[in-house]
Amino acid sequence: MTQLQTVAADAWRTQIEAAITQRGERFGGAWVTADRHWRALLVKGADARVISCQAGERVDSIVDLVPAAGWDEREAHDLHALSFDGHDQLRALIEHPTQGERWITPVRGDGVHQVAVGPIHAGVIESGHFRFHVVGERILHLDTRLFYKHRGLEQAAVGSTPQEGLRHAGRACGACAVANSLAYAHAVEDASGLWPSPELRRQRTVLLELERVYNHLNDISAICAGVGYAAGTMAFAAHKDRAQNLNARAFGHRFLFGSVAVGGAARALPAPAAAELRGGLAELRGDVLASWRELEFAGSLHARMDAVGVLPAEAALRLGTVGPAARAAGVAIDARVGERRLEYDALRPAAAPRPDGDVEARFQLRAAELEVSFELLDELLRAPLPASAATRGLRASPVGVGRVESPRGETVCIVELQAGRVGRLHLRSAAYANWPSVAHASAGNLLPDFPLINKSFELCYACCDR
Amino acid sequence: MFVLLRQLQRIRAQAGLHRTDTPGWLAIRHVDAGSCNACEHELGLLTSPWHDLQRFGLDLVASPRHAELLLITGPVTTRMVGPLLSAYEAMPEPRLVGALGDCALGCNLLGEAASMVGSVAALLPVDVQIPGCPPSPEAIATALLRALAERAR
Ligand code: SF4
Repeated sequence: MTQLQTVAADAWRTQIEAAITQRGERFGGAWVTADRHWRALLVKGADARVISCQAGERVDSIVDLVPAAGWDEREAHDLHALSFDGHDQLRALIEHPTQGERWITPVRGDGVHQVAVGPIHAGVIESGHFRFHVVGERILHLDTRLFYKHRGLEQAAVGSTPQEGLRHAGRACGACAVANSLAYAHAVEDASGLWPSPELRRQRTVLLELERVYNHLNDISAICAGVGYAAGTMAFAAHKDRAQNLNARAFGHRFLFGSVAVGGAARALPAPAAAELRGGLAELRGDVLASWRELEFAGSLHARMDAVGVLPAEAALRLGTVGPAARAAGVAIDARVGERRLEYDALRPAAAPRPDGDVEARFQLRAAELEVSFELLDELLRAPLPASAATRGLRASPVGVGRVESPRGETVCIVELQAGRVGRLHLRSAAYANWPSVAHASAGNLLPDFPLINKSFELCYACCDR
Repeated sequence: MFVLLRQLQRIRAQAGLHRTDTPGWLAIRHVDAGSCNACEHELGLLTSPWHDLQRFGLDLVASPRHAELLLITGPVTTRMVGPLLSAYEAMPEPRLVGALGDCALGCNLLGEAASMVGSVAALLPVDVQIPGCPPSPEAIATALLRALAERAR
């Protein structure tokens, strides 16, 4: 059960400050409710609690205490007309004003000029705009202007049944479909006092790891593409395709759409199918390892990644970076550790081979994490996955919270139920948490290295924009 | 490198790829107008070794000025209308428009009406429809090859 503590609006800053500095909690997102409460999630390991205040029109900003809350405040302003005292200048995030000064950081000095890229990019890439401030080839500052893909999924989910609302979270993003669906299911189950059976925990853990496997394969391929190392790009794209074919054979969909249900398992995996999946993964694992060994010895590949796009640990902590990007910087946060709603007792998180926070570190870590996922799946798939359900057993939480480690890091879903229907859905994906880190890691680098830096984070636009 | 190339060679052998006599060439410019990104993943795989669309004379190009087919994914969000129309305007004539995936075709939309147009057809004349959520790489390849063959006739 998730605790909800309501505080006076003028105590908001001191409460947040105490949580961060005295209780060692981490900011996990903030959202506005229908009755204009401003709420924040505070997490510590596997524990989470919500604090809330009646905001009305304005509330004190916490962006100086918690830079990670910067986007949450800008979003609340754009979508819910909530103003923040002390957040100066409160630049537009989701709205796209034509006046540059409303969203671009002024960068002045000799020879500074802007380079505009997007929203349509040169390849098969999602839409989003980057405004670089450069001197010569060197990036001084990057303003990202995303949310071109904003579909209003959260708003559209209001009023739907908890079952219907799953589609809004699930289709927010193809590559994180399991993570987002599962975060939603956990949130609804938290809000309804449901607890998953051991079989359901195992089934969901399998799905989450299958999603991680094909994503990490994709991301290794993408980083090779960022360098222009075609043999690696193609080999890992082919491995990813194979992993997705395994998904389709076992669960009926290459992106595992529809494999997560609220309150139970959408699909059972009988013994022969589980054995077939396990065998397929073992075979794939061998080929992936062989390819990875080749990449390790490709000197020209590593020469491009070393000391490029550095995100130091201190910045990762400040910006609230999550997932492989944080772990590659030496910040060991992983929502899988201690997660009791899933089956992660056997998880031994991969140690970052070199926690330098550069492209190379993120590249190496993905390979190490792939091995961990293959190992976990091998264990979890020793037995069939029968149909199973979540059963009533806990007190219902006033605010349902789901936290799931997606391939890109911790994804948070908030569901507040009103008379059995979705009163508020808020999805704060790992991509949303990490976009400011991309901008931070790009500063000081060469403009032509940006695609590579960007791919080393490989963030989604879809589940960020929603 | 050697192992990688051997792996790729093996993949090509397994995929049983063959040359065809499809006539001509079709340059495709893709635009994401609010997809969930799964359609992009599948489209991107068309150039991978399992499918290798280039052997049919199909290619994904960087500039709309070099493109004959504008292949659009997503329900067309309001924020993408402007960029999408500029890409269309930049194309030489005659030009084709393709709607890739159920979102682009206006099926099973989930967002709020104020944030999206709702389909590609509400904005541009659609010549190629590729249903699916997402359509598999094979389905995309089949539809594109049909478009190529029809245009050649
Ligand atoms: S059609 Fe399906 S896969 Fe394609 S963008 Fe829409 S939701 Fe995603």
